[in-house]
Amino acid sequence: MALIELKDVNKTYQGAQPLHVLKGINLDIEKGEFVSIMGASGSGKSTLLNILGILDNYDTGTYHLDGTLIKDLSEKQAAAYRNRMIGFIFQSFNLISFKTAVENVELPLYYQGMSRHKRRQLAMEYLDKMGLTDWAGHFPNEMSGGQKQRVAIARALITSPRIILADEPTGALDSKTSVEVMNLLTKLNKEDGMTIIVVTHESGVANQADKIIHIRDGVIGQIEENVRHDNWDSALIK
Amino acid sequence: MRDLFGEIYNSIRNNKLRTALTGFAVSWGIFLLICLLGTGNGITNSLQSNSGQFVQNSIQVYGGRTSMPANGYREGRWIQLDKGDIELTKDYSENVEKVAPITDGTMGTIVMEDKTVSAYMMGVTPEYSEIQKVSLKEGRFINPLDQRNAAKVAVLSTTHLKDLGDDVMGKWITIQGVVFRVVGVYHGDENDFQSNLYIPYSTYKGIFDPSDKIRSLIMTFKGINNIKESDEFENGYSRSLKTRHQANPDDPSAIWIWNRFSQNVQMTQAQGILRIALWIIGILTLISGIVGVSNIMLITVKERTHEFGIRKAIGARPGSILSLIIAESVTITALFGYIGMFLGMVACEVLDKTAGAKAVDIGFTQIRMLENPTVGLDIAIEATLLLIIAGTIAGLAPARKAAKVKPIEALRAE
Repeated sequence: MALIELKDVNKTYQGAQPLHVLKGINLDIEKGEFVSIMGASGSGKSTLLNILGILDNYDTGTYHLDGTLIKDLSEKQAAAYRNRMIGFIFQSFNLISFKTAVENVELPLYYQGMSRHKRRQLAMEYLDKMGLTDWAGHFPNEMSGGQKQRVAIARALITSPRIILADEPTGALDSKTSVEVMNLLTKLNKEDGMTIIVVTHESGVANQADKIIHIRDGVIGQIEENVRHDNWDSALIK
Repeated sequence: MRDLFGEIYNSIRNNKLRTALTGFAVSWGIFLLICLLGTGNGITNSLQSNSGQFVQNSIQVYGGRTSMPANGYREGRWIQLDKGDIELTKDYSENVEKVAPITDGTMGTIVMEDKTVSAYMMGVTPEYSEIQKVSLKEGRFINPLDQRNAAKVAVLSTTHLKDLGDDVMGKWITIQGVVFRVVGVYHGDENDFQSNLYIPYSTYKGIFDPSDKIRSLIMTFKGINNIKESDEFENGYSRSLKTRHQANPDDPSAIWIWNRFSQNVQMTQAQGILRIALWIIGILTLISGIVGVSNIMLITVKERTHEFGIRKAIGARPGSILSLIIAESVTITALFGYIGMFLGMVACEVLDKTAGAKAVDIGFTQIRMLENPTVGLDIAIEATLLLIIAGTIAGLAPARKAAKVKPIEALRAE
């Protein structure tokens, strides 16, 4: 069984004019894959990511994450699954401004009820991995965008999640930093075997992934195998 | 726990002025509550102490003046109590515990060696001290032997000692030409214009007033538990007294009865009502403070919606968000509540030292309007509970709002 299995997932936003956003999504993502999801705005890619991240629910179909059916969960259950199975990386970093880097990193462990000492130790380990040991005591507004995103990555990794979900992880970064962050994600995938899903509309970013899933008008279009990463050049040329 | 307080500390530190202003409202509410209750206690205490020298289950009976014609007598006749009325109480032996007659008093001058002081001399039986709470400083009160032998002994008040000097025990004093021996000194009321001097009832009757007349009767009763039984006893006894003195049993003014039991019950009720009223006023004042806290927490929740979204995305349960907000609300309420409580207690102490020490002259005696207007540990504990409940209520609505918000919506908010 694949790590992520979506079968005929439908999602409609109710309103004055009901909006059918996802129209029967079927998708399998294996453990250790590096996948990017591409699509124009309004294509449903953010909704798909929210469903994958258990931030939103869907109407019909099934979603299995590591063999667990994720459907009609209570807020409490959803929070517990998010905490243990999913690491989020956001476009705007989403660090808590009045907490230091290390406090931000250890926050998921706080919600697991881990002791102060242990989670501080673990958080320092992960910051060290990101090369941010010296910045542990700094607040987010004292750091550069790249540093903030690396803190966020450390926070996403600290619970050893099944998957990393990155929503436009380079959207707020300059091109040089973008490359650094994407290289970091690639390294995590290659060396630690972490399953990573990146949502983006930049083909350059998507090209880092091994598989590119194109989503259009709520259905999955083309799935490109991208082992050679040769879209990178074409993207640059474009 | 430590983490929770860390979060709360952060939140308060980030909004110092706002927290202080809100806290002031709570402090003010609790301050007023404590001041009100302290003043209430002061009034209650002074009422109690002004009636403190009487045993609470006692009644005192005086003769009055008839207002109805009866048995061939016209109205307007004075009723004089006498020895026979003491015998009458035996019919009520199931309720009457002790009876003590009091003679008409006589103003006299006490002469001891070369010193003199004026006093109001009263003949009383040994039971008197048990009914009227005579508190002895030294020596003893009139005892049954004195009464039987019509001994010439006297009990002085401490107020007499100002003129006679402290060394009076066992000394001989002369009152209206009769020599008495001082056997005891009781604590007299400093505020009394004239203090009583007690001699045995039999002695008084034998020397100064050889009649059966009694000025008044005091008695304690037993087996009476509520105001209804007390009234029944009072009515029954008063009717037989009136019948004995040839007055109309329904005459309201022929006999005067001062029932301290029912008076005390009424006073206790009045104090209870006063206390409840003060609590209500205090709590109503406090409510404005609580609404303030609630308001601030709502703003806080709104401002921190995005942060709560982040927390939820990384695994915060709704319950942990809920408890975070409520804990913050309780902390603010309790912290500033305690400041208010402390200031309120200081204010009560100041009141105690100033207004509490002042006695008001009401003509024949002086009373203190406020006695010990402070609050005790019980009120402090009640107020603490009140604060915690108030803080929880104040935080509940904002906390629920924060816990309910969906993570994706919260993440979208800025």
